[in-house]
Amino acid sequence: MLGPNGAGKTTTVEILEGLRTPTSGTAMIFGVDVTKDYSTLRDRVGILPQSFEPFDNLKPTEAVQYWAGLYDIKMTKSQVNSLLERVDLTERKSVLSRNLSGGEKRKLGIALSLINEPELLFLDEPTTGLDPKARRDLWRLIEEIRKKGTTVFLTTHYLEEAEKLADDVAIMHKGKIVARGSPRDLIARHGKMTVIVLSGAGSDALREIRRRGIEATEDNGDVLVPVKDPTEMRVVFQKISGIELHAKDIYTRRQSLEDVFLNLVGAKMDEGDLKP
Amino acid sequence: MSRILADIKGFGRQYLRSKVGAFFTFAFPILLILLFGAIYSASGNQKVSLPVQNLDGSSFSVAYLNELNNTTLVDIRMIPADADITNYINDNSLSLALQIPVNFGSKIADGLGSNYSGPVLVTIYGDKSQSTFGTAVAAVEAASVSFNYNLSRTLPLVAPGVQGLKEGYKFLDYFLPGVVGITVMTNSLFSMSSICAEYRQRGFFKLLATTKLRKHEWLISKFVFFSIILILSLLTTFAVASAAFGTHSSITVLSLVMIPAGAFLFVSLGMLLGVAIKDPESGVAVANAIGFPMMFLSGSFFPLDMMPDFLQVVAKALPLTYFNNGLRDTMVYGNTGGAIINLLIVVVIGFIFFFLASRLMSWKER
Repeated sequence: MLGPNGAGKTTTVEILEGLRTPTSGTAMIFGVDVTKDYSTLRDRVGILPQSFEPFDNLKPTEAVQYWAGLYDIKMTKSQVNSLLERVDLTERKSVLSRNLSGGEKRKLGIALSLINEPELLFLDEPTTGLDPKARRDLWRLIEEIRKKGTTVFLTTHYLEEAEKLADDVAIMHKGKIVARGSPRDLIARHGKMTVIVLSGAGSDALREIRRRGIEATEDNGDVLVPVKDPTEMRVVFQKISGIELHAKDIYTRRQSLEDVFLNLVGAKMDEGDLKP
Repeated sequence: MSRILADIKGFGRQYLRSKVGAFFTFAFPILLILLFGAIYSASGNQKVSLPVQNLDGSSFSVAYLNELNNTTLVDIRMIPADADITNYINDNSLSLALQIPVNFGSKIADGLGSNYSGPVLVTIYGDKSQSTFGTAVAAVEAASVSFNYNLSRTLPLVAPGVQGLKEGYKFLDYFLPGVVGITVMTNSLFSMSSICAEYRQRGFFKLLATTKLRKHEWLISKFVFFSIILILSLLTTFAVASAAFGTHSSITVLSLVMIPAGAFLFVSLGMLLGVAIKDPESGVAVANAIGFPMMFLSGSFFPLDMMPDFLQVVAKALPLTYFNNGLRDTMVYGNTGGAIINLLIVVVIGFIFFFLASRLMSWKER
């Protein structure tokens, strides 16, 4: 579930997780109405809430044992170690949680959410606030969980994250799902397949291009011209060849969810905030 | 049950690893007992409450009481004349009392006539080790001297006699239950109010709500955890007081029952406050605003009867008063009946707070 801050992602997920009471409507998981009998789902669902923080004064091994106890699960020492190894916390398993890095804390959170070996795992913005390396580490972990057959329901405001991890993306804006499908489908339906990038061409070039009836936008001094197919690309190149451009570089790139989002919402998303 | 045990273990580790938790459980009561032990080894001279049983009722005994009142050292409260004074002292956990004997008036009249056969003894029941005892004796001696002078100028018509109570007990014996009371309150009330606020702010309640642990199980685990560590704290503080100052108060079965009852009351009150508090800093402020006045007004540091009347009324509205009184009844006075009554009051108030806390507390977003 992809959307900017305030779109309603966490509210939706918390309703599905049984953590928030909906004002109206129904929400079902595995055919069970979550507002009526969530207790039957606890064995089948794992949850990593938004902005997860572990208990400061517990070591990862102790936190896992504690959490297992709260699920009525008895874990042997080797099972605890195995789970921590799975999330790559073996070397940090005996460090108090308050001394773990942000990425390690999230990994511990994922370990706790996997204790009951869930069929469905909710990860609410698991990589928000992490540095790029920690984010990539978590992406690897999430992919590994998915490959083992667990359905992962992930909310994010990172377009790259959704594009990289998701089989099925729902874009949420102002409390409504405005588009849904695989990243490839969404790009095909709501975006152009390719963009011609006139790097550093600037606003003068943008004006000249638009004067020739070509749809274009500017992003940080780059002029972007979306095209559907090679035929349209040839036409565009012919039209702009007469313009005196001061571009540093001219290249093409495939469109991404970022472009889809821009087309659907009419604004760009930067760290979750909408920017015109 | 297994979830409660898991939560006790997990929470207990966190609590005891936090320096604040360990300090307030063990170091704080020991510091208090050492500090006040040293301070109270000297006696004070405040106005003390003196329960008086007048078995005579003549105008002479009334005049004597007026003289006693004129000393301004004591605040006289009457004991029913038909009560057995030793039972009354025990049942009401008194540490001081005065008895004016039967035929006080007729013996004074005889002395003023020609049948003087020595002074009439008014008996002070009290513990010599208490600071209030010296004040009471001084007041009775001053009243006797004035009474004698006014009536006969020369003859010692009245003289004080002393009947020891709880010989060998020190002020610290009376203070020790107060220290335990403060420890139980600070650990349970202060901790729970700020824990609830922190759990809400950091999303721990939401986290717990994702597990199978239920809200009442979490509440019970906190009550059990604090009961265990506070019993250990009582035993440690008692051992230190006994070793350092030779105290004589005793740890009774009832005192060990009082601790969980107190923990139950103040954990529940802390949770109730935690329902309304949004962040840990506010939790500390609110707990202090409620806890500190209670600490000083509930007889933890000094006897309630040394306080002005209106503050004694306030003290009766504070749950810590009943907890302190119950502990003193059983640990110092051996007044089992009084201790049980105070225990029941503590438990009833605890159930009211627990009921309200469990109804009002929510782990979910509303």
